[in-house]
Parts: sequence; structure tokens; C-alpha cells
Amino acid sequence: MTVINSDTATADFEGLVQPHRVHRRIYTDPAIFEMEMTRVFAASWCYVGHESEIPAPGDYRTTTLGLRPVLMTRARDGAVNVLLNRCTHRGTVLAAEASGCAKRFVCPYHGWTFAPDGQLVAIPFPADHAVEDRSTLSLGRLATASYRGFVFATLNAEPEPLDCWLGEAREAFDTIVDRHPGGDIGVMGSPHLLEFVGNWKLSWDNAADGLHATFAHESYNTLGEMVDTETVLARDPGSTPMVSKALRNGHMVVDQRPGIPQGPWATMRRVPFREPLETALVDAGEESLLDLATGSMINLSLFPNLLFVGNQLLVIEPVAVDRTRLQLWLTSAPSAPSEIDLLRLRVDEDFVNFGTPDDLDMFERVQRGLSIPEMEWIDMSRGLPDSDAADGDATIYGPITSEAPQRRYLAHYAKLMTTPAATRAR
Amino acid sequence: MTVAAARPPDGPSAEMSAAQAAVLARYDEMAALLVGMDDRPRADPGLTAEAAPALLHEARLLDAGRFEDWLEGWTSDAVLWLPLSARAHPGTDQSLLLDDRRRLAERVDWRREPSAWGQHPPSRTTRVVGSIEAWPAANGLVARSTLLIDEHRHGRHQALAGYQIHELVGDDLHRRTKILVVPALGTGVRNPSFLL
Repeated sequence: MTVINSDTATADFEGLVQPHRVHRRIYTDPAIFEMEMTRVFAASWCYVGHESEIPAPGDYRTTTLGLRPVLMTRARDGAVNVLLNRCTHRGTVLAAEASGCAKRFVCPYHGWTFAPDGQLVAIPFPADHAVEDRSTLSLGRLATASYRGFVFATLNAEPEPLDCWLGEAREAFDTIVDRHPGGDIGVMGSPHLLEFVGNWKLSWDNAADGLHATFAHESYNTLGEMVDTETVLARDPGSTPMVSKALRNGHMVVDQRPGIPQGPWATMRRVPFREPLETALVDAGEESLLDLATGSMINLSLFPNLLFVGNQLLVIEPVAVDRTRLQLWLTSAPSAPSEIDLLRLRVDEDFVNFGTPDDLDMFERVQRGLSIPEMEWIDMSRGLPDSDAADGDATIYGPITSEAPQRRYLAHYAKLMTTPAATRAR
Repeated sequence: MTVAAARPPDGPSAEMSAAQAAVLARYDEMAALLVGMDDRPRADPGLTAEAAPALLHEARLLDAGRFEDWLEGWTSDAVLWLPLSARAHPGTDQSLLLDDRRRLAERVDWRREPSAWGQHPPSRTTRVVGSIEAWPAANGLVARSTLLIDEHRHGRHQALAGYQIHELVGDDLHRRTKILVVPALGTGVRNPSFLL
């Protein structure tokens, strides 16, 4: 299929991302946003969904990848496919539901029919149709690969193998998955969908930002203080032994575990229906599993669209230069006692209600502030100089007050924007 | 009325603890209220007339920001539930919120906290309660009503519509269960922290 070589689609991007500051235009310029949807989102591996969401042949789920409607399906042979959700006849979006099960995807416009692996299997009234080789009219296909059941896809014409792309991030990824008994992690049905009037990178600037917890989340920490609970965000960011890591390819890790020696469960207030479930686990001698009810205390961010936060998968879905949708999926522990998932549901709501609204407000305030043309720059210099290997591929370690993760992901972002990879549907 | 079955427990502790069964029983009760609503017969006129002032009073308190007064109107075993869809179950699906009496009180504390940036400055809301219907229930009544909420904040505006189910008990018609279904939650809304 057509190869898009976006070399020619240049904008004057040079100089907008500098080591210590970035220009407001990368958050406000619609032309830059449009380039990002191909140079960043189509050209990178992006998280699409989890294999457990489509257990049976014909199961599917829809989402977007850099604004492109895509379809994750389970084919008859059990393989997972990520396809462009677009009829090859006139371009109609085939599947309109968020998820479902279909033996065939029949286009509602003219009846072209596709198998879950994307092959065109029927055209109505074929006698008067000129197409001889139907294989050229299969649905557009993305390169697809899974890691620990998490499905990633890309339109990059020559993608780096997924394992290499994840690189050092695999260590945190494995830790998050392996804390589930049997390494068995699932994803529950419907996500929270939250939107904010702001650029998608604002959630990236926030994801490994250890300093904002003290200020933006003061209200969350105050709720903890009222009941003598020291939340994970209430630690002194200047002295906590928590560690932030800036990895290759823009990935980021904040490891909060060194700062909470008493374990994750001790950081949680008493969520609804906690006591009977907690008592049941303690009585069954499974008290040690309670930490599973809350997050791993490792925030892992896989650039450009997946954040592991608590027990949630936070998928960042750009909608427009100043509009972003966050998909918040809750993971489950299918092989743990079922009290764990019951607790997770209530724990999940805690930050969504008393933390996330404050983040959303910050994102929208920043976007409004960035509308001022006379104030061009955003400062990202905290923690400079980056001590080790800032120019190489090695991980940069720092205290959680360092802005090294933001600098590192933005440097990777700038590289994607200025040396674009070719993208194509397969 | 259809009663939604709780998810059968899986994993190593397949025998459900009594504590877990009690939690699931409350969740099932709420899911049944939600799922069974469309099958109910025509409402009881007397109970509908009785429910209306309680529902309108609640809407007025919330719009006025009188959250402490609002908090008084709940039973000790109360639950406020905002599911993400009308087919949701509290024990298997994420919710926007599912508050017991304790978390309701925390929520009011949060709203009063000056650093709760998501509600400071606060949303200005106008609720329009309509289509009230009510039926008899143990020790009280069950009411369904439609709800329009108009919200202004930071110079921006959004209007959300949905319906609410109230289980009101005792002489004072205190809220034991409230379920608020807002279909837009399934497609993405901005900072929904004004929804109660």
C-alpha cells in the first residue's frame, strides 16, 4: 500500500525543543499536532489493548491510533490482528461499537464483507465488479506485537522489534505483571473516559513529575491526614528515596517503592466496603496479598500512549491540539482471591475522584496560559545537568524532583518530529 | 424484576467468604434496581407525589452548594453510585464513584478543601428534575427521575443529562441508595467532579 514519506511535510520545528526549555507552539500549533499524529503516533509502537479483552475468535475492540480508527480482533486461528477500521471500498468505518463479537465485518454502506483477519471475503453482486484479486482489498493492517499480553501496533514501515523498543522499560513492565499471582493480569470491561481542554503532552509532562504531588495533590494528601494516613503522594519530594528514571525511546519510570517501606496498602485510606473484604483475607492468612489491591507503586510510562498508574492503564488519546481523551482501564488479578478485584474497584475510584480532577484542572490551566503568544517558553531545567549519559541510550536516574524524564521524552519526541519515519498500512 | 447475578468468584478462594457475600449482596441489590427499572409498571401516584419534594429538595441543596445539609439526608448504610453505563455491576465494572456514608463525608470535606483545584473555583450547577415516578419498597419507596445538569466553570459550560434512581426510606425519606446514570460518562466528559 501507499508509503507516506513525511520528509516533505516540514514545519519550522527546529529549536522548539531545547535541553532546558520548550516552546509553547508544540502545545498550541494545529499544524504541529497534525504532524504528530503521523510522525509520533503512527510511527511509534502504540498500545492498542489487552489480549484478555478479546478471548474468543471474532471478539473485537475499537480505539484510535493517532486519530485513525483501528480495530483489534481475534481471528479464527486465534491470532490477534490490529486493522484500520475502514472499508476498502468507500472508506466507511466498519465497526461502530466500542467492542463486540463478529464472525464477519459487513460494511453497512454497500455490504463488503471482511473476515476478522481483515481479508475481503465477499462483495455483493460480484458479477459486475471489476476487482479480480480480492487480496489487494484486505483491510489495512498494522504491524502488531504483544508483550505479556499487552498488544501494541504501529504503521511504521520498518519498526524496531517491540522488545527492543521497550528496552529497559521491560524491567518495570515485568515487575508490574509478575506481582499478579501466576503473572496473570486482566483488564476489566469499560474504561473511564475523561477529556480535558489541553494538549496530549500535558499528561506526559505530568506522568513522571514527582514534584506536582506536593502542590497539585495537596487536597488528596489532606484527606489522608484527616484519617492519619500518609498517602504515597504526601512524601517530602526533596528527601524521599523514590527514584525517577528517564529511559530510551521516551519511556519513563517513577519507582515509589523505596519511599514507602511499609508497603502500598498502608498508603490507602479506608475505601468503601474495605473492612469486610480485608478481614476475610486476613482470616484466610492472605494478608500479604492486600498490597495487590493497590498499585505496584511503579509509574511506568511507555511513550507515546500508555501509562501504568496504580492498577490502572491510562491510555492517552489525542483528539485535537487542545483536546485530549484519557482512557482509564482497570487491571484485574484473575488468579488472586476475588476479594482483591472487589477492593481494586473501590481503590480505583479513590484517586479518580480526589486526585485526577486536580490534575485535569492543572492541564486546562496550563493550556490557557500557553495561549499567550508573548510568553513563548516553558522551563524544563530542574535537575540539570543530567549527570550520566544524557546523550546516549543509557537510563538517567534522578530524584523525583528532577525534570530529566520530561527532557528525555521531549528529546525523543523532537527526534521523531525532525527525522520522520515512513509509515504505511500493510 | 430481573436480578443481576454477581460474578461467580474465581481464583484460589473459590468458596466465597461470608464477608464477601454480604458485600456482593448489597452490590447485587443495587445492580437489580438499575437493571430492573425499565420493567416496572406504571408508577404509584401517591408515592410519586410523596417522592417529588424530597428529590427537588436534594437538587436545590446540591445547586446551592449546601453539601453538609445534603449529607444529613442519608442513612448510615447509604450508597451513592455513579456507574459508567446502565448495564454495569458494582462488583465487576469500574464506576465513576461508589460512596458509602464515610466516603460521602470525605467528598464533602474534599469539596471544602481550598486546594481541591478541580472544584476551586466551584462548578455552578442548575439541576432540572423531571419525569418523577415512584413505587413501593421495603420501608419506603423507590423513585426514578430524569435529570438535566447544566454546569458552568472557568468560563466554560457543559450540559449533561441522565436519570437517577433513589431508594428513600423511613418517615424522613432518607436516601439509602442513589444511582445516577449519565450516558455521557461512557463517551468522555470534562472534569466530572461536580456530579453527585
